[in-house]
Amino acid sequence: MPADAPLLEARDIVVAFGSFRAVDGASLTIGKGEIIGLIGPNGAGKSTFFNCLAGDRQPQSGSIHLRGHDVTRASPEEHARLGLGRSWQVPAVFDDLSVRENVMVGAFLRHPRTADAAAAAEQVIDFTGLRPIAEARSGSLGTPARKRLEIARALATEPEILLLDEALAGLTPTEVRAAIELVRRIHARGITLVIVEHVMEVILSLADRAVVFHQGKVIAQGPPREVVQDPGVIEAYLGRSLSRKARA
Amino acid sequence: MMPAATRFAGRWVFAVLVVAALLAWPLFVEDQFYQRVGALVMLAALSASAWNLVGGYAGQISIGHVLFFGCGAYASLLGFTWFEWAPILGAPFGIALSLLLALVVGGPTLRLKGHYFSMATIALAELARIIVTNAPVLGGAVGVSGPAMPRSVLDLSFISPLPYYYIFGTVLAVLLLFTWWMNRSRMGFYLRAIRGQERAARSLGVPAQRYKMYAYLVSAGFTSVAGSLYAAMLGFVDPDSGFGILLSVKMVIAAALGGAGTLFGPLVGAAILVPLEEITNAMFGGGGTGITYVVYGAIIVFISRFAPGGLAEILSRFQAWRARRAG
Repeated sequence: MPADAPLLEARDIVVAFGSFRAVDGASLTIGKGEIIGLIGPNGAGKSTFFNCLAGDRQPQSGSIHLRGHDVTRASPEEHARLGLGRSWQVPAVFDDLSVRENVMVGAFLRHPRTADAAAAAEQVIDFTGLRPIAEARSGSLGTPARKRLEIARALATEPEILLLDEALAGLTPTEVRAAIELVRRIHARGITLVIVEHVMEVILSLADRAVVFHQGKVIAQGPPREVVQDPGVIEAYLGRSLSRKARA
Repeated sequence: MMPAATRFAGRWVFAVLVVAALLAWPLFVEDQFYQRVGALVMLAALSASAWNLVGGYAGQISIGHVLFFGCGAYASLLGFTWFEWAPILGAPFGIALSLLLALVVGGPTLRLKGHYFSMATIALAELARIIVTNAPVLGGAVGVSGPAMPRSVLDLSFISPLPYYYIFGTVLAVLLLFTWWMNRSRMGFYLRAIRGQERAARSLGVPAQRYKMYAYLVSAGFTSVAGSLYAAMLGFVDPDSGFGILLSVKMVIAAALGGAGTLFGPLVGAAILVPLEEITNAMFGGGGTGITYVVYGAIIVFISRFAPGGLAEILSRFQAWRARRAG
């Protein structure tokens, strides 16, 4: 891949459910090392767009390139091989497996031998602070631990870009702080991050760039603090009459 | 609490004792009825363990595995009927045919989720049964027989059930060794991940379709071998004993009773179900066949209500309870 090519580039993505266009010509270019916050009101199409980026849904039109490869129609496993990891909005851990085994499933992608995968998993377990519950059956975990495990599992695939789908939703303020700290450390390893989040505090404190979705389109992007001042963004969240009041 | 090393050694001692008991008991029990039951347990354990790869580890509940069993059984006896081969020489052809069918059938059906996969497998097995029933060249509704009198050892036609017991047991041991190895390797992790959350597994780079197919192929091959061995022992197969849906159900129940997705679950399940069936049949004669089904029904209800993980789950619950009590 050329040195200056974007890490992940989505162009004119359209996803329609019947006559409803959930994503309606959205484009996004992500450079190496960025932290992107994907925000927008409920039903704005961010999750659908996110799933296109992750390869879990194929857009009706548009194109997606990951590290210079056309992955518009590629399978989720192909995305993983090319260095894209993701978490799920509703945690999808393997309930019957222990935390360690969950992480090993991810580690097997780059380490086909069991001993190597186990060693790689140990490092990820330490990095993500899962050591105290490494032996626990993951089906017995609560939501915060599941979300952390999802991130660990994705990290074990040694991704270049990590997509987090509401990885912090439903956490207590203390847990959110711990999670933000983890995300920072992941970023410090040189991993590019895309975060879908409702909690604005998270976007403000983490993201270099906020991308605002509304009715399937990207209506604004830029530094988070500027974006939240944007009249169009306020209108999208609060509606027209309230946004006039907010400006007044 | 025992130290880990002692527990590990204890486990090996236990395993050696169990294997020794499995090898030696027929020498002390001279009643051929029980020896025959022992052989049938091994055979049922073999097919249930083969099913376990797909249904247990990968979580794809096939209720049409008899398709491969029948291929193996018919390949053995058709080889004799057509070319006067020793039945067991047909086994490789049964395996080849089963692998081919698994490849063709598995491609589309393994993409189906949950019940849809189960239903598709039932339909295909029934289709095979109907085709065989209506094809005179395959023996039709009457079925096909093996050699009336043994011509050589290769015919695997013995009066005593003991040789069958040891032959079935050997093949079962090979399959269990493979399963044990697989469960520790990438393939085992991938299959269990697919069973848990297929979408999430794929997002971690697990080529789900390919691994399900691997499991399906190995499973089909061993099920076919079980069919061939069964045909060699009985010397006869007809559409119902080769492709009947009840055989598929028995594989599922044996595995589910002992613990689907566990190494020894199917063997334990078979060791309970087969004697139960044989003894009720012997006690009640032909009328006992019905009682077998009542028992099966009761077992299905019991497992799904109280222990979806089978006896293995009950055992692990008991161990957890004991560990808690020991503090």
